[in-house]
Amino acid sequence: MLKKNNNNQKMLKLIDKNRIYFIFLFVFLFMSLFAPRFLNVFNLTTVTKTMAMNATVAIGFTMIFIIGQLDLSIGTIITFSAVIGLSMKEYIGFGGSVPLAIVAGGLIGLINGLLVTKAKISSFIVTLGMMTVLTGVIYTMTGGNSVSLSSDDAFAVSDFLGDMIFPFITPRVLIAIIMVIAFSLFLNRTRTGRNFYMVGGNKQTAWLAGINTDKYTIITFVISGTMAGVGGVLYAMESAAAPLNLGTSSLMYIISATIIGGTAMSGGKGGVFKTFVAILMLEVLYNGIILFGLGNEVKIFIAGFILAAVVMNEAIVAYKHEKIFGQRPELIKELKQVQN
Amino acid sequence: MSSEDIKKEKSFDIALEMKCVSKEFPGTLAVDSVDFDVKTGEVHALIGENGAGKSTLMKMIAGSFNDYTGDIVMGSQKVDLFTPAQSKKNGIEMIYQELSLAMPLSISENVLVGRLPKKGIFLDKKKIAEETTLCLERVGLGHLDPNLQIEEISQHEGQLVEIAKALGNNPKILVMDEPTSALSREEVERLFTIIHNLKKQGLAIVYISHHLPEIFEVADRVTVLRDGKKIGTNDISEVTSELLVQMMVGKSVADFYSYNSHAKENERLRVENLSRFGFFHDVSFSALEGEVLGICGLSGAGRSELGRSLVGLDERHAGDVFLDGEIFKPSHMSKAVDNGLVYLTENRKTEGLALRLDVKDNTLVSIIPQLSKNGVYTSNDGDEILTGLIDELSIYPPDPTKIVGNLSGGNQQKVLLAKWMACKPKVLILDEPTRGVDIGAKMTIHKSIEALAKKGSTIILISSDLPELVSLSSRVLIMRKGRIVKDMRKEECTEESVLLAANGENV
Amino acid sequence: MSDDKTIKEEKSDVRAIKVTTLGKMMNSFGIYAIAVFFLVLGIVLQSLGIINNFLTTTNMMNILDAVTLLGIVAVGMAFVTYSGHYADMSVPTTMAFTGIICVQMLQFGFIPALIITFLFGLLIGLINAVAIGKFKANPIIWTLALVFVTKGIIRIVWDNKQIYPDFIANSERTSDLFDNIFRYRFFGKISLPLVMLIILIIALDFVMKKTKYGAQLKMTGAAQKAASFSGINTEFVIGMAFVICALTATLGGLTVTSLSRVGYINNGVGYDFKAVTAIVIGGMTLAGGRGSIMGVVGGVLVMGLIDNILTLLGVGTFSQDMIRGTIFIIVVGLNAKSLRSLGRDDA
Repeated sequence: MLKKNNNNQKMLKLIDKNRIYFIFLFVFLFMSLFAPRFLNVFNLTTVTKTMAMNATVAIGFTMIFIIGQLDLSIGTIITFSAVIGLSMKEYIGFGGSVPLAIVAGGLIGLINGLLVTKAKISSFIVTLGMMTVLTGVIYTMTGGNSVSLSSDDAFAVSDFLGDMIFPFITPRVLIAIIMVIAFSLFLNRTRTGRNFYMVGGNKQTAWLAGINTDKYTIITFVISGTMAGVGGVLYAMESAAAPLNLGTSSLMYIISATIIGGTAMSGGKGGVFKTFVAILMLEVLYNGIILFGLGNEVKIFIAGFILAAVVMNEAIVAYKHEKIFGQRPELIKELKQVQN
Repeated sequence: MSSEDIKKEKSFDIALEMKCVSKEFPGTLAVDSVDFDVKTGEVHALIGENGAGKSTLMKMIAGSFNDYTGDIVMGSQKVDLFTPAQSKKNGIEMIYQELSLAMPLSISENVLVGRLPKKGIFLDKKKIAEETTLCLERVGLGHLDPNLQIEEISQHEGQLVEIAKALGNNPKILVMDEPTSALSREEVERLFTIIHNLKKQGLAIVYISHHLPEIFEVADRVTVLRDGKKIGTNDISEVTSELLVQMMVGKSVADFYSYNSHAKENERLRVENLSRFGFFHDVSFSALEGEVLGICGLSGAGRSELGRSLVGLDERHAGDVFLDGEIFKPSHMSKAVDNGLVYLTENRKTEGLALRLDVKDNTLVSIIPQLSKNGVYTSNDGDEILTGLIDELSIYPPDPTKIVGNLSGGNQQKVLLAKWMACKPKVLILDEPTRGVDIGAKMTIHKSIEALAKKGSTIILISSDLPELVSLSSRVLIMRKGRIVKDMRKEECTEESVLLAANGENV
Repeated sequence: MSDDKTIKEEKSDVRAIKVTTLGKMMNSFGIYAIAVFFLVLGIVLQSLGIINNFLTTTNMMNILDAVTLLGIVAVGMAFVTYSGHYADMSVPTTMAFTGIICVQMLQFGFIPALIITFLFGLLIGLINAVAIGKFKANPIIWTLALVFVTKGIIRIVWDNKQIYPDFIANSERTSDLFDNIFRYRFFGKISLPLVMLIILIIALDFVMKKTKYGAQLKMTGAAQKAASFSGINTEFVIGMAFVICALTATLGGLTVTSLSRVGYINNGVGYDFKAVTAIVIGGMTLAGGRGSIMGVVGGVLVMGLIDNILTLLGVGTFSQDMIRGTIFIIVVGLNAKSLRSLGRDDA
C-alpha cells in the first residue's frame, strides 16, 4: 500500500516541477485545435518574433530570482537602453550606440548590485528607487517624447534582423534562443553556475563553503542590467522606435513568466529554460486570444490571473508544509499500524 | 616506559587539545577555563545539562567566535580558530543540530558544494553521482538518488546527508551536536554503526549529547560540564549512569529551593488521550488547582509540542482536554488566553518577545483584549498591572520604556513571564522558564511561580533544569519519544531519578 | 525577598542607550523639523530672489492639494508597512479601477455609485487580505500580480476608452456632485479632500495608537512570530491592514478621478512609490512595528515641499523623479542600516 502512494507522490512531484512544459503543451495544442489560423507559418513567425526581447531580459531576471533577490528596475533599463541605442545613433552610429546602450544597462545593474551588497539595502528598495530615478532620466533625455529614427535608417535595421533564416526564426529570435541555451547550460552544467543556486538556496551555507556570495550577487545584477540592455536594443532595432512605456509592461510580463515557469523568489530553484518556455507559452496564449478575436485586454487579464493562481498555489503548499514539518516518522508508522 | 614516553605516546594520539579556554557572553561566562582533548580514533562524549556550555565549547573549535581566550593546540602547534574557514582548514567539521542544507537544491549539490567535479568547463554528471553516492554510502544512504532535493527527503535523512557532507571534506575531527534527538531506534543504531566505522578510520569524534544510554553505547571517554566548568573526564568503563548524573547535576542547590506544594483538592485540567500525529500520542494526565506539575524529557520528546497543542497554537488530532470540568477546544490561541490557559515559549528571542519594542508593549500584549473597551485601548489602563509586575519580578531597569532587546537575558525572561502573569492565568504552561538566565533572576522567577501556584494557578513546568524541576514540582511526568512513560510523585523525585527516567532507565 | 539583596542581579547591558528614546522622538517630531527646514529654505530662496512666489497663498494651496492626494493614500498604505509587509503595490491600479467604476456607476446616481465603488475597493482589500494574511503570499509579488489582473479587467470591460462623468451620469446634478469631490471648498478655501484627509488622519492615528487593533498591529509588525505566540490573530490583523489600504486607495482614486474628470487607467500611476517614500521618510520603517500616522503626514509634507521648491527652481518633473528616487534609496537605506547596526532591523 505504502509503495503505491510513494510512486504516486513521486509522479505528482515530477509533474509539479516540470509543470511549465505541460502547461505549454496544453496551451499550444489548445490553440492549434481551436484558434483560427493559428497553425500557419506567418502566424507562428509573429509569435516567435515578439518574444525575442522579453526572452532575453527574462534570462537576467530569472537569475535574480535564483539568488533570491528582486529587480524591479529592469523595465526602465529596457526603455533606457532603447532610447540610448536610438538617440545616439546619429553621433556614433549603430556600431557605437548599441554597445553603449548595453553597457549602460550593465552599469545600472552594477550600481544596483553594489547598493544591495555593500550598502546592504534590500533589493526591493534599491531597484524600486532605481526604477524611479531612471524614469526621470529617460524623460529628461527625451523631453517626454518617444524616440524614433528617420524612415530610411529604420528600414535598414529592421530588414537585417528581420530576415527569416529558418521558418519561424529570425536572427533576433536566434540570438535570444542562443543566449537562453548558453545561460541554461552555464547555470545547470557548470560549477560556477550551480553556485548561483546555492547562494539563493542557503546563503550561509554557500558562504561557509567558500563561495563569495557578494560577488555572485553583484554579477547577477550586472547580468540582469546587461540583458535588459540587450533586450531594449533588440526591440529598438526592430521597431526603430522606443515608446516610453516600453519597459513597464515588460516588467509584469517577465515577473509572470519567471514565476509561472517555476522559478520562485525564494531562490535556489527554477531555471532559465523554464522561463523561456513560460514566455513562449504566454506568447502562444496571447496570440491565440487575439486570433479568437478577444483582443489585448483579455490577454493581460489572463496572464495576471495565471500569475496570481501560481503564487497562491505556492503559498498554500508552503502553508500546508509548515504544519507537518518535524514529525517523528516512527510515531506516524505506529499510527498507520494501528489504523490497519 | 618512562612516564615521559607514555606522555609522548599519548600526545601523539591527541588530535586536538583545548587548554584553559573560556568564552564570555554579555552577562554570563558560558565556558570557564575548560581543558578538553580528543584523540584520533576515539569517540569522546561531552555531556551536561542545558546551558552547561557544551555547544559553546564546540562552537569555539568550529570557528564561531573570534574572541575566545585560552589555547587550542593541534599536533603540538597552537592554532587560531577564529573563523569557520580557519576551522575547516584545520580539518574540523561540525554538524549542528539545525540543518544547514539548502532545501531547494539536490543532495549532491549540498554534499559537494563548491567542489562539484567537472570535465572541462562542464560538470561531470556521472562523477557527481558517483562521488555523492560514495559519500552517502559512508552514512548508509547509498540507495538514495543523489538528485533528490533536500525538500524531498526526511529530516533524519537530511541529518545523515549533513554528516556525509562533513565527511566529504575528509576531516580529522568531527563534532556532532545532539545528533539523535529526532531519531528512531533503528536510525540511531545506523548512526552508531557509521560512527564506529569512522572511528576505525582514525577520525576523532566529539559527541555532544544528554542522552545517557547512548553515551554508553558509542563513547570511549566522557567529559561532564556543568555551569561552564569541566567536572571531570573519564573512560566510559569507569562510570555508571548514576555517577554521570551526579556529576551533571552536582551538589543539590536544594537549600535554595524548598518550595511547598500549594495544590488544592479540585481538578483543574484534565487531558485524555491527546494526540498530534507525528509529535505526541495518547497523552493523558490531570493537574489540580494550585499544583505545579513538572514535565521532564529529553529534547525531541514532544513536550513543547504538547504545550502548544494544549493552548491552540498547533492543532491536535485526537483526544480531549477539560478545563475546570468543561470541554476545552480553543480554535485559536486567543480563545485559550481568554479562558486563562496560556503558554510561555522556550524561545524567548524568536517567539516570545518583540525585541524591538519596549517592556510595556511586551508585557501588556496578551491582555490587550482585556484592557480594551469596545475596541478602544488606552495602554495606560495597564500601567498599574505593569508597575506591579515590574516590581514583583524585580525587572531591571524598572523602566517600562526600555527596549527589551537591550535587557539582559534574565530580565528578558522576566518580561516574558510578566506577560503571562498579567493574564492571571488559570493554567500556565512554562517551557524552559529559566533557560539562559542568571541565578538571581532564576530565583525571582521561581518565587513568582510559587506565588502564582499559591494564588491558585495551575502551573505546568516543562524544564530540563533538574533542580528547578524537582524542587518546584509536586509531581513530574516523564515524556519520552512522544509519550508519557512515567508519573513520579514528589517523594520519588530526585534529580538523578528524574534524569534516569527521562533516559529510559528504571521506567 | 531578602535573597535578592544578597544575590547580585544582572544589570542590563550598557547598550540600553537613550538612543532609542531619542530615536522615538526624532521619528515623531524630527520629520516636522525637516518640513520646517524646507519651508524656511523656500523662504530663504525667495528672499534671495532665486525663486519667486513661494510664500504666496496660491503656492501654498498648490502644495496642500498635492499633499492631500498623496496623504489620503499614504495614511492607508502606512498600515501595510506598519504590519511589516512592506507596501501594497496594487494601490495605483486600485485607484484607477475604483475611479473608473465610480464614473461608470454614476448612471445610477451619485450615492449608489459611491456605495458600489467602495464595495469594489473592499473586495480588492479582502483578496489581498486572504492571499497575504492567511496564505502568506509574498506581498510584493502578489500585489503586483493583482495589478496585472486589475489592469486586464479594466481593459476588457472598458477597452482603452476613457470615460467621462459628464456623459454617463444620470443627471447633471450627479455629475456635478462627482466633480465636487475634488473641487468643493468649505468657506471657499478648504477643499473637501483636505477635510477628508484631516478626518482620516485623526481617525487612523486613533486606530493605530489607541485601539486594540492598533496595538496588536504594532506587535505583529515588530515581531510577527512572537505576536502569534502571544495569542494575537495575526492573519486577521495583517489582512485588515490591506483592507484599510485598499479603502484609502479607493478614496484616493475617487479624488484623483474627480480631479481629472475622467475615468482613466493611468490615474494613480506613481502613487505606490510616492506613498512608500513618504512613509519611510516619515519615520516608519519597512520592517514594521515602528512609526506613526503623524510621521507619515510629515513625510508627505516634506515631499510636497521638496517637489514644490524643485518646480519653482525650474527643475523638470522628470528630474524630480530622479531626485525622489535617489532620496528614497538613501533615506530608506540609511534607515535600515542604522537600525541594523544597533542590532535590530532587517528592513
